[in-house]
Amino acid sequence: MNYTLRIQLSSIEGAVIRALGLIERRGYSLNKCTVSESDGAHRDMEVSVTSSRPGDLLKRQLERLHDVYHVELLPTVIVNPNKPGVRPFTRRT
Amino acid sequence: MNVSTHKAPELRSGSQILIKALERNGVKQIFGYPGGTIMPVYDALVGSGLKHYLCRHEQGAALAADAYGRVTRKAGVCMATSGPGATNLVTGIANAFMDSVPMVIITGQVPSALQGTDAFQEVDIFGITLPIVKHSYIVREVADIPRIVNEAFELAESGRPGPVLIDLPKDISAGMGEVADIPPGQRPAGRMPDGKALQAASEVLSKARRPLIIAGGGIAISDSVEAFRKFVARTNIPVTSTLKGLGVMLPDDPCYLGMLGMHGNGAANHAVQNCDVLMVVGARFDDRATGHLAQFAPSARIIHLDIDPAEISKLRKADVAVVGELVPALEGIQPENKAKPSWCAQCANWKKEFAWRYDAPGEGIYAPRLLRDLSLAHPEGLTITCDVGQHQMWVAQHCRFDDPLNHLSSGGLGTMGYGLPAAIGAKIAKPEATVVCVSGDGSIMMNVQELATLNRYGIDVKILLFDNSALGLVRQWQELFFEGNYSEVHLDDNPDFAGVARAFGIQAMSIKEPDEVSDGIEWLLNSEGAAMLHVSIDSMENVWPLVPPGKPNHKMMKSNPRNGG
Repeated sequence: MNYTLRIQLSSIEGAVIRALGLIERRGYSLNKCTVSESDGAHRDMEVSVTSSRPGDLLKRQLERLHDVYHVELLPTVIVNPNKPGVRPFTRRT
Repeated sequence: MNVSTHKAPELRSGSQILIKALERNGVKQIFGYPGGTIMPVYDALVGSGLKHYLCRHEQGAALAADAYGRVTRKAGVCMATSGPGATNLVTGIANAFMDSVPMVIITGQVPSALQGTDAFQEVDIFGITLPIVKHSYIVREVADIPRIVNEAFELAESGRPGPVLIDLPKDISAGMGEVADIPPGQRPAGRMPDGKALQAASEVLSKARRPLIIAGGGIAISDSVEAFRKFVARTNIPVTSTLKGLGVMLPDDPCYLGMLGMHGNGAANHAVQNCDVLMVVGARFDDRATGHLAQFAPSARIIHLDIDPAEISKLRKADVAVVGELVPALEGIQPENKAKPSWCAQCANWKKEFAWRYDAPGEGIYAPRLLRDLSLAHPEGLTITCDVGQHQMWVAQHCRFDDPLNHLSSGGLGTMGYGLPAAIGAKIAKPEATVVCVSGDGSIMMNVQELATLNRYGIDVKILLFDNSALGLVRQWQELFFEGNYSEVHLDDNPDFAGVARAFGIQAMSIKEPDEVSDGIEWLLNSEGAAMLHVSIDSMENVWPLVPPGKPNHKMMKSNPRNGG
């Protein structure tokens, strides 16, 4: 499944890499990532990920991080319903 | 004349501000090891109110802080220099992370201007530890120290506890600032469980024909043991426990079926496979507890109680999720009726059928019986720390715990070398307790240098060392699952362990015959100060029962003790 998440997080040192590291480590393959400064104290990050694991679990895992303020899981878009689920840690070609 | 009541903060070093912040957070003892970049902190330590324990390897310091944190439910504190000092802490930090232990770690770092230049003893410990901390900081301003330290303790100890790292560049620890101390803030109230979820849980339990509970380590962490025991007394629901849940139930409670999982008791594993409602309390469906996940508790609806929302439906979908503090959750779940007598009778039958036996034939010392005898010789309040391997499973199976904080075992990470430093941390946290470190000939060598710490501070820890001249659990798996192709598991060239202990100033006694066991236990428990009882056992002894990898929990391999060896 493909998921898109919007993450608002602290602009403090390490916050972005901590969130990105968690995403890959928990079995979600990262397809796309944009990070933008929203104001002095926050950053907005949008990620697109692929995994056979549920998207809401990743949302809850991200929400656990101290420097993540808000996570929104956007409605899932099924790209190809006939394609079997992508397993965690499989690399996209 | 005007007298200002406002007192300007005095000029102090970052290290002095740090020490004061630690004291304000209630820290009395620290475990650590000095070195280049942490020297300003060690300088400020002299004359402070903090007692520092010099361990003889940073891993020992981190694991001692872990045990201190488990026993006190307050963050254990460890400290090391940058580079190798910091990387040596990593196993201890991961250990605390996996078992949800409150810990604050302070690492020295090269000066800010040198960071990123491959300076002497520079490593990115912040980056290295990202996956194994609850949170971490790099301090960039002297003025931030009081706030960061307060936050670190609050994060480490609140919600689901965990390790928090503070990386402290030397220009910050040695830098000066006029910085006011900040008292630790009021801790936020814990999350209350949702009323609808409590009602749903009550309804599911009311309809259950074969309800069962798994008691996890979260019950001890959240200080919910009494509330849990009251819940069981009120509902009569049979209980199994995880490794970290041992001691939540009193061992003789009729509702208690023992530990479940790979080396669990048959009664617990049969009950879990046959239940129709499984209430999991402060546990996380670890693979060593569930066996083959898809076949775990196949007919059960799941009620999952946890403080951490990210544990819900991570591995097994929860039919009812109760997220929040355990005490109000347990008090708020009110099934209409007690567990059915026919189901309780079935569980009681399994308990009888799978009761441990100690009448095994054989010539040598039988470790399970020795551990049972140790527990019986000191029936109340004996604290046991474990290393990892066969002896760890025998402790879980055969020692009797009346309090989960009396059983300190590396559950999630499975860290060989945990036992001795953990015993040091536990004894310092709880000086009145009798603390026994149960170890093996493989594990003891992982942190054997901490014998020097015992001797240096006169720490009264008893070591029970099972010596089978092998890495026993690996040997057992090679025997069972690798066709007896033994690879790097024989330790026939072990040192004379009693001699090693004596060289460190620790008294020691060796036994190898069953008729020496009783005297050996008495000697160990009654010795003045630290002591080691070295026990030679059969190298082919196995841990039974065993759920093979990939099998469901009721497919246990079992052998008559010493018969399938």
